Amino acid sequence: MSSILSVQNLNKSFGNKHVLHDVSFDIEKGHIVGLVGPNGAGKSTIMKTMLGLFNFQSGTIKVDGQTVTPMKHEALSKVGALVEHPGIYPFLTGWDHLQLFADGDHQLIHIQKIISQLNMDSYIKRKTKGYSLGMKQKLGIALALVNFPELVILDEPMNGLDPESIKDLRDLIISETQQGATFLISSHILSELQRLAQDLLIIDQGRIVETTTMHDLLASQGKQTIMLMTNDDKRARDVLKKARFKMTADPRIEVVATDDSTMPRVLKTLVQANIDILDVSRLEGNLESSLLEVLKQNRIQQKLAMERAE
Amino acid sequence: MWTLVKQELFKLTRKTSTWVSSFILIGIQFLFAILSRIYPTTFIPANMFESLYFARPFITFYMIAATATIITMEFQYGTMKQVLYRRYSRGQILVSKWLAILVYSLYWYVISTGVTLLLRALLFRHSLSIHQNAGYGDTVFTRGLAISAASFVALWIILSLVFLLANVFSNSVAAVSVGIIGYFGTFIVTQLLTMLIQKWDWAKWNPLTMMLYPSMMARPGYYQTLLNMQSWQMLLGSVVYIAIFLSLGYNVFCRRNM
Repeated sequence: MSSILSVQNLNKSFGNKHVLHDVSFDIEKGHIVGLVGPNGAGKSTIMKTMLGLFNFQSGTIKVDGQTVTPMKHEALSKVGALVEHPGIYPFLTGWDHLQLFADGDHQLIHIQKIISQLNMDSYIKRKTKGYSLGMKQKLGIALALVNFPELVILDEPMNGLDPESIKDLRDLIISETQQGATFLISSHILSELQRLAQDLLIIDQGRIVETTTMHDLLASQGKQTIMLMTNDDKRARDVLKKARFKMTADPRIEVVATDDSTMPRVLKTLVQANIDILDVSRLEGNLESSLLEVLKQNRIQQKLAMERAE
Repeated sequence: MWTLVKQELFKLTRKTSTWVSSFILIGIQFLFAILSRIYPTTFIPANMFESLYFARPFITFYMIAATATIITMEFQYGTMKQVLYRRYSRGQILVSKWLAILVYSLYWYVISTGVTLLLRALLFRHSLSIHQNAGYGDTVFTRGLAISAASFVALWIILSLVFLLANVFSNSVAAVSVGIIGYFGTFIVTQLLTMLIQKWDWAKWNPLTMMLYPSMMARPGYYQTLLNMQSWQMLLGSVVYIAIFLSLGYNVFCRRNM
């Protein structure tokens, strides 16, 4: 599959401060990609540079093969974005905003569809100066989607949204992806990102430290576990420990699944010990802990490299 | 480009201040026309007609504010990013704002000229003929048009400077302040300016002198001697300064991080 966005050797400085170091990555068409990293890692800077808002020292940014620079924006006709806070004119209504930024034919039908999908009908004709944070956020997302973009860049899109709105947004993103759109999403709500993103770009201190898929990251960190409830949890723990299964520190019975055979072996061991199994569930890995682990390992490696260099 | 200009005009038409200020302008014109009708010796009808019933200073103040805010509101509301990360280049975005302000300033001049003609017809039908001689071979009507055209050019010197400052500071207070000071400053320093020009002829080519272009059109004989300039030289100088200020603003806008 071809890439919709290609960033190669991107370097960006603010004065003497070098904030992006040889950032390179490609995003495949139709994928949902999470851009994650700690505060100040450079997520918003990457997004703003890709959108032609920042000058950069070196590197290339291409959207569907077309170069983007602060002075060359033609390729951005395929891009919709919400970066940092939504920019809203308080003297316009939400509808005015969508009408203002919508291009092309059938725009009214499309505007109405987005409004309905994000449940904005009740206030869309009101002036935005009275909007709550969540209402403004939804309008910002609607503006990002209004021109049928092929690539959508969303920076913290869940900010200020209630659980119902987060679900609406999730459904909307999935539905847009099914129609061929590609999403690059930066979010600190990792549980939500875990449910959405297929691919991940992990950034720290202005460097891409890992480009991976969600599945591979969770699997590589060995965080898939099996949670059990039995008629005698204390004895079950002892039996499993004796059988050399790796247990987590959780006071409940949580066994680390090292491979696909772990589950049947655990069940067989407990049955052979005459322990009744009341419930069993497989817990997927957790993006938060996996991410922290990647960042920790990366910093250790960096420290070692610096020590070696000295 | 036309799409961008339409978008800028759409924003202007949705602002309450656009319509309120239009009514205020018409109100001011009515007020001065009535005063001219009641006190014709103090508010001379021909002069008041030529001054569009005091509409020009109001238009200048309002256009300074509108020009500053068409740039700075984008920073204030955080909408600049949204405006920029589309298929249009930065240059196109800024030029669309210039064009929107050009259309807007023409709107004010057309409205005020229309209201002026209406007021003349309503209140001065028998006492003021627009075809009467105003000196220097002009009629009251042609003199009024010439002054309006010159003040439009002078207004654009101020507006181009306001565009530049709004781009540099992203703050309307600084841009509006300098614009208003520039407008008043010209009249305050006219005497000093003429002394300088009499001493050094090249000093006439400064932007403050160009601001006296409408005065030149009102009293050509007097100002030609005072400033050592012809009206065409003032027009040329004004256009050059407008181009300089706009291009400086263009460069600032295209180079900055948003």
